[in-house]
Amino acid sequence: MVIRALHKTKGSIPVLLWAGGEREAVDVSALANQALAYVDALHNLARYLTGNETDAEDLVQETYARALRAEHQFTPGTNLKAWLFRILRNTFLSSYRRRRNDPTVGGLDTVAAPVEGVESTDWLLGDVELDRLRKVVADEIEAALMTLSEESRTVILLDLEGLTEVEVADVVGCAVGTVKSRLARARAALRQKLKDYAR
Amino acid sequence: MTCDDVRMHLHDYQQGRLGPQAQDAVRAHLDGCGDCMRADAVEQELTRLLEHRLPQHPASLALKRRIAAQWAPPAARPSWWRGWRSWLAPALAAATVIVVAAPVVHYEQTAARQAREQSAMVTEAVNDHLRLLASQHPLDIESGGLHQVKPWFAGRLDFAPVVTFEGDADFPLKGGSVGYFRDRKAAVFVYARRLHTITLLVFRADGLPWPSRGLTRMGGLETTVTSERGYNVILWRRGELGYALISDVDPAELKQLPARITPASS
Repeated sequence: MVIRALHKTKGSIPVLLWAGGEREAVDVSALANQALAYVDALHNLARYLTGNETDAEDLVQETYARALRAEHQFTPGTNLKAWLFRILRNTFLSSYRRRRNDPTVGGLDTVAAPVEGVESTDWLLGDVELDRLRKVVADEIEAALMTLSEESRTVILLDLEGLTEVEVADVVGCAVGTVKSRLARARAALRQKLKDYAR
Repeated sequence: MTCDDVRMHLHDYQQGRLGPQAQDAVRAHLDGCGDCMRADAVEQELTRLLEHRLPQHPASLALKRRIAAQWAPPAARPSWWRGWRSWLAPALAAATVIVVAAPVVHYEQTAARQAREQSAMVTEAVNDHLRLLASQHPLDIESGGLHQVKPWFAGRLDFAPVVTFEGDADFPLKGGSVGYFRDRKAAVFVYARRLHTITLLVFRADGLPWPSRGLTRMGGLETTVTSERGYNVILWRRGELGYALISDVDPAELKQLPARITPASS
């Protein structure tokens, strides 16, 4: 059972068609529509990875193009969303490597250093930090998130998307235990940044 | 469990991801440790912040359309090899009918498809105009004149938009931005006419279903003039580029612009 095509219906609402078995159309259509339903989630992650709208749209479009080419690699019964996220992140990283080698491109400020230098145990004493967090506004939390490394942003956003730690590990290509510690460190780093914004 | 152990697992604890034993151990620790209880509250507040206040960036309708266009319908699979004998006679009969009717049907279908595709171009142009009107930040570059707006597109597009009209007192140029038209990037120029907004999209013309009939001549340009949902639309192509002009200003006023944007002598 694999993705075969995205087909436009009368109302111009795209519907994914799936194939792989002669009479599977009904069974697979729900899964296909599910794939399309992830465009917003994929774009959200892409926006936070690239830091701008144009690159985010290019990244999502390339992700779907690669998904189509790699359709035979998708295993039925596994998480399609996680599979698409993995393609998106790999596409982003390979694009980043290409840009890093491009002399016309300056530093990639969207990819910060991988270490935030904050331990998960670096807590402010309770109530003070809680009060500060409650004052943080949307722009500040977005700005704080964008200061974290790509890896930290990714695990925080994938966690928010509801992926399990096993699925996050599959997306970022590391062990489940590593995801746990990375997520804890990333959230600690984010708290640390927000502490500065909320003063 | 030590305080460090508990704090490392607070998020998992709140998400219910720990096993029953670990979940109970964390709960028991929190009941007896004021510092960790406050840390638990901070962790919950962070989750609430991320879930409720972190701005979300959903995909635009244009991107969804492009992805739809990217994934073309599959080619029909040949199945004649299976049980062909039983289908031979009906197939021959059908073939006879097809030979007679196909040219007529093909012509009608082609004409209908072209009309649909051309209508889709107009719809896309109007949608782009409406999105721009609805956007809180429609312009990426505020105009200081065409000499500022045009160079701004360098490096943002895979073509150089050819536009010669700098705007004037009647149609001041407000600025520009990068957008999309169908499956390709577009340079967006925004002019004004009194309180009305005029959007000009410039994009690569290749591969689009440009009309070949019902054209209106305007200063050496072959244009398509139409309207949809109360907006007037003028489409034309010049060289390798396509142009779409959209606004709710009077059609007679809008028609003044194509020849000024891409004069035949330029």
